Amino acid sequence: MPSRILVVEDDERIRSSMRLALEGEGYEVDEAASGEEGLERFGAHPSDVALIDLMLPGMDGFECCRSLRHQSAVPIIIVTARSDTHDVVAGLEAGADDYVTKPFVTKELGARIRALLRRVRPAEDEPTVLSFGDLELVPEEGVLRRRDGTEVHCTKTEFRLLCELASSQNKVLSREQLLDRVWGYDYFGDGRLVDVHIRRLRTKVEPDPALPRHILTVRGMGYKLVP
Amino acid sequence: MFALGALVLSVTMGAISYFTTRHILVSGQENAEIHSASKNATFVQQEIRDGYHTVTVLTAADYGNTRSSSLLYRRGNWYERQFSVPPSALPKSLRTMVHDGTPASLTYTRNGKPVIAVGIPIPAVHADYYEVFALTALSKTLGVLALALVGAGVATTVLGAALGRWASGRSLRPLTGVSRAAVAIASGELDTRLIAGRGDPDLAALTSSFNEMVDQLQERIEHETRFASDVSHELRSPLTTLAASLAVLEAHSADLTDASRRALELLSGDLRRFQRLVADLLEISRSDAGTADVSFEEVDPAELVRQAVAAAQRSLALETPAPRVEVDPALGGTRLLVDKRRFERVIANLLENAAHYGGGATVVRVGPAPHTNGAGHHVRVSVDDAGPGLPATERGRVFERFYRGHAANMRGAGTGTGLGLALVAEHVRLHGGKVWAEEADGGGARFTIELPGEQAEVDEEHADEVRAT
Repeated sequence: MPSRILVVEDDERIRSSMRLALEGEGYEVDEAASGEEGLERFGAHPSDVALIDLMLPGMDGFECCRSLRHQSAVPIIIVTARSDTHDVVAGLEAGADDYVTKPFVTKELGARIRALLRRVRPAEDEPTVLSFGDLELVPEEGVLRRRDGTEVHCTKTEFRLLCELASSQNKVLSREQLLDRVWGYDYFGDGRLVDVHIRRLRTKVEPDPALPRHILTVRGMGYKLVP
Repeated sequence: MFALGALVLSVTMGAISYFTTRHILVSGQENAEIHSASKNATFVQQEIRDGYHTVTVLTAADYGNTRSSSLLYRRGNWYERQFSVPPSALPKSLRTMVHDGTPASLTYTRNGKPVIAVGIPIPAVHADYYEVFALTALSKTLGVLALALVGAGVATTVLGAALGRWASGRSLRPLTGVSRAAVAIASGELDTRLIAGRGDPDLAALTSSFNEMVDQLQERIEHETRFASDVSHELRSPLTTLAASLAVLEAHSADLTDASRRALELLSGDLRRFQRLVADLLEISRSDAGTADVSFEEVDPAELVRQAVAAAQRSLALETPAPRVEVDPALGGTRLLVDKRRFERVIANLLENAAHYGGGATVVRVGPAPHTNGAGHHVRVSVDDAGPGLPATERGRVFERFYRGHAANMRGAGTGTGLGLALVAEHVRLHGGKVWAEEADGGGARFTIELPGEQAEVDEEHADEVRAT
């Protein structure tokens, strides 16, 4: 069963060429010319990854991203015009997992998609349940829940990030390490990906996100999780 | 300037009032003396007619008068009473005039004291009567006046200077603002404007026309940078389509004929170059427009350089072997605050430049700048190549956009974007550092960047100390 990718892009030529390229890589492609159509398509037939251009007529990419995130934990890649603007951070805040900058190379896009589709495979000697505070992580099942059994919803990327931190409790993980393990980036990946995802995670697992007790920032070093 | 004005003014005013007063006083005194002398002359004439002896006459004339001395010239002889004023003390011009029958008076200085000599001819008795008055009182008065005027002048000058300083500071303050704003604008802060002050309408006009000028300037500059940015922006959509479509063709290149495959290779090679050119143009136009977002991170310079060299070698797929990375132990715990993406581009562009024009980079060195000691504040990264080196005349110019020097005909010349080193300079400038080209030890070219460093904030031993943020 090939993975299904939703491409939300208003430029028909780009959309068609992306379909050709992605199908060449073995994916099944669903197209949408607007944010509204994208949401509709996804509702009718959920995809495994969504690719959303930020500059869309009508409902813009941010809004589309937020709506999609509201109904699903699907990995989202935003397509931005510039990598060094607030667009990237705003897109990530809207729920995106990663981004590519136009004009992108197909190979690069393929690598981003593959990284997001990777499944969490815990090492052999690792316990099947990771816990901290009153939270439990079950990597096998992809489930995060409180000790009382209520499930905490998080995206696949947030979950993988939390697994990395929780399996190295009390140890500092640098942004570079996290970018490599969670997103498949090298040393020069964008640290903002980590920072925004950590912020989002804190709102879900910390009793007071402004004064984190579990996911701590180690200045100039990275992040670490304390139980 | 103001003090000088006050000085000139007070000297002029002082001089005018002194000389006017002096003239009035002196001519008043003169008139009085002439009047008294003519009275005496009439008296003398009367007495001589009456047959009194000349000296007796003079004594009588001088009676009760200590201010003046009388002289009489009659029939070739001089008669005087007090012997205080010899006839030789009378100016010759006065004597000649009086002798010719014209009454005259003359003010002059005698023995350092001002005197008035009045001469009156008495033709009836063939005599000339002279009277010399000392002007001591008058000169005392004038002395006091001069002193007062000098005092007033000094006071005016000092006050004027003080007032001038205060007033010029006050009235020049807006001009200082203008000059400061102009400097800021020249250094690229195009948002700088003058704040319209209250009061002076001349200044308000200056402020508004200055601001208008800067508005127009800014508009033109922004228009030009926006144009470069818009063009690059518009090129991106077709480029995305091209790149994606070419990727499909590349995936099926095995099905193509040799000629088609070669054509495809040329296409994708130049498409990559085109993409980079557009990306570089966008980056440089953003930098020009001052809209580049820089996100600084604190990093270990040695690790950063090692990673950047490895990443560049990977992404550029250079044919030349990877250079050695040498880290100077003197670097110590110095850290760098860098935008990692930009730094990676700097290293990649330098390595690419070395590969195209210098037969590949041989060694990349990381160390402290020599003028900072120990774990200093500046870090130098240099890239040496094995090429023929750069002529001294081109060393500064290679950082210009689209500059094509003597190497224009070399093998790698057609493959770059022409913006590589210009972007290096731009990125280094954003980091507050500098970049230059020189001759490497082996005769090749050496490009060196110097960036301001940071003292390590977290040392290794306490690396596990946690500060929650």
